[in-house]
Amino acid sequence: MRTIADHLFDILENSVNAHASKIIVTISFFKHIFLCRIIDNGTVANLNNVTDPFVTSRKTRRVGLGLPLLKSTVEGTGGHLNLSRLERSSGTCLEFTVNMAHIDARPFGDISSVFIDALRSWPGIEFEIFINNAKKEKKILDTVELKTMLELDIIQDMEVLNYIGEQLKKALFKIGINQQFGVS
Amino acid sequence: MKNLEELKQIKERVRRNLEMRSGDYRVKIIVCLGTCGIAAGARQTMNKLAELSAQSNRTDIAISTTGCAGFCEQEPMIKVQEKGKEPVTYGHVDIAAAEEIFDKHILNGQIVERYLFSKGE
Repeated sequence: MRTIADHLFDILENSVNAHASKIIVTISFFKHIFLCRIIDNGTVANLNNVTDPFVTSRKTRRVGLGLPLLKSTVEGTGGHLNLSRLERSSGTCLEFTVNMAHIDARPFGDISSVFIDALRSWPGIEFEIFINNAKKEKKILDTVELKTMLELDIIQDMEVLNYIGEQLKKALFKIGINQQFGVS
Repeated sequence: MKNLEELKQIKERVRRNLEMRSGDYRVKIIVCLGTCGIAAGARQTMNKLAELSAQSNRTDIAISTTGCAGFCEQEPMIKVQEKGKEPVTYGHVDIAAAEEIFDKHILNGQIVERYLFSKGE
């Protein structure tokens, strides 16, 4: 994994594999701390030892590297990773922080492209994306809302994806997240 | 959240595009986006293919993704499925390889031996 963006896409894939139909992502960046919270409504796997590379819910292979890799990236900067089941409904909440001021922090990469790739890869999944600058939270994408407005069943058109990408990029830039951050 | 006027324009264009599309794809490109693929740069490969596909103005190309195929050392991998033909799998598909495969195979139906991993399922 070269960037935080790569990790993020990889972790979203876990929700997809857990048959989630909706994923809510909150991103905040404040005082060098990048925080990302991913809440899905998928089936909840056994959450014990999931950051152990030899623990995986899949049957084809005995290793699962997504979460262990994220854990090492996160903890290498003094951040934390926390995975819990939702209390009121079925689903999982994953939260991680990365101290972007740490010398070992990976660059952000293109975070907006993560969501574009996600929409392209999993057209059936609804996304809500929020950004947070420690003062207030703002919704920057709601695929259900967008589909209603555009009267589309799925968002796969390149032009729509590009448009969403630009909007997300602008919104992320406002809270200080840009592709060049951390690239020396 | 969005500029309504802009959205309306996009909506019109998308509708026209959808009408042009027959709903049937001639070629399907499947990009392996497991943990291994992502770590090897498969997202860049997919974005390149999507960009090329949009630039080509072809409406018969579909791009989708799948998980790890079990040959992690070959990542980034893509599978090209032409209608009525055996699927072809390519390995080590970086951006340059994606361009070459798109030009030769996806647009013109020639298999690019240099990146070939396997033919058939």
